[in-house]
Amino acid sequence: MKKLFPALFTIILMACGSEKKSDEQAFMEELDSAQNTGPTISEAVIGDILQQIPSPLEIAVLLKESGKKYNASLLNSPDNLPKYNSNYKKALNLGIYGADLGYTNIYEQNQDGIKYISSIKSLADGLNIGQFFDIETIGRLATNSKNLDSLLLITTQNFNSINHYLQTQGRANLSVLLLTGGWIEAVHIMCSVAAQDPNNKVLQEKIGEQKVILENIMLLLSFYKDKDQNMATLYDDMQELKKIFDRVNITYTYKESTFEVVNGVMVIKDNSTTTIDITPQDVVDIRNSTVNIRNKIIS
Amino acid sequence: MKRLAFFVFIFFALSSTNSTAQCNSEALSNQCIPKLASGFNFLKSYKIDGEGGAKDKVEYSYVFTKGTQYMINICAPNQPTDGIVVTLYDSNRNKVATSKVNGQYISAIAYPCNATGIYYIQYTFDGSSTYCGGSALGFKR
Repeated sequence: MKKLFPALFTIILMACGSEKKSDEQAFMEELDSAQNTGPTISEAVIGDILQQIPSPLEIAVLLKESGKKYNASLLNSPDNLPKYNSNYKKALNLGIYGADLGYTNIYEQNQDGIKYISSIKSLADGLNIGQFFDIETIGRLATNSKNLDSLLLITTQNFNSINHYLQTQGRANLSVLLLTGGWIEAVHIMCSVAAQDPNNKVLQEKIGEQKVILENIMLLLSFYKDKDQNMATLYDDMQELKKIFDRVNITYTYKESTFEVVNGVMVIKDNSTTTIDITPQDVVDIRNSTVNIRNKIIS
Repeated sequence: MKRLAFFVFIFFALSSTNSTAQCNSEALSNQCIPKLASGFNFLKSYKIDGEGGAKDKVEYSYVFTKGTQYMINICAPNQPTDGIVVTLYDSNRNKVATSKVNGQYISAIAYPCNATGIYYIQYTFDGSSTYCGGSALGFKR
């Protein structure tokens, strides 16, 4: 029994030790402590807002489904990678390149996509989140257009994992930048396409409804702007864009929905509506403001 | 000493029981992704962990946009839904959809959105045995 006790004591110590931070985790925290400027609100609240931001993929699908042609010149060149040295620029441009990759994937432009994959991996490595980006699998899937569904799935999963990891590691500031970059790029692409098709009401409405997302992004940036000069500058730039979006009116009318069960799936008929009042001039101004912000980010 | 050893044994036995009963909601949410209907692009996976009944709901939110169709499904360990109900609310907390109808638990909702805004995706437990599940959100135009 005397021998049993020390053995049990050791086991208990080992079991308790499992909650101790790993060396890798401790290293990561130390690495980030210089850049991590804490928000003025809890990380849980930030996480709740972050998860609401829709994927830029939705806009790429809209453009393709509405018959718009692929246009690589709208995207940020993957060759701009060496310009991004700070964590601030890396995170924003990781979001931008992520949106660009989604666009190339949706249009099945695999050769372009591979270039973005490479730049994304470099930026992710630079932010110590490269382990979530499975470049080998993505590269393999990207070589065959038949793998589109798998490619979209794995890239979306990788970006979700990155965002989740950043939030659990107290680095939600980078997650905010990543999602902001992705949103800016999606709006930029959409506005550029709309400029070539100024009478397209669907596109105009789609741009107008970005007001809902911008409000969330502004809220997120506001949590950091007092403690981080880069975030403050970005917030001020985005404030100019918000002023234009404030001219857009979104009217929501709730009406109870109806449903039917079809093949085991409950199919809802949404009887609520939103009307979006946006003028062609609003679209032009949104485009110009977005271009200004994006140019600062990608240069 | 015998008594101490007994208590240590009991401690480990209980810990072991607890760990096997833990909710692997991440695995369940991953299982849900390929179950999204054909044509839907994956957006998010959601963990549904009711912590053995300690929580009565788990909630997430997402901006749904007009003209896009969304699908939300549910996966549970034993039965298709194990009493887990997903209810969708708009930003004003008006109920938009629920997966429980006439006492029947449906494992997937298809929601063609007609009104852009923030929506709350709430999971509740109605006679659930595990209070554990996963869910996936997909979209198509």
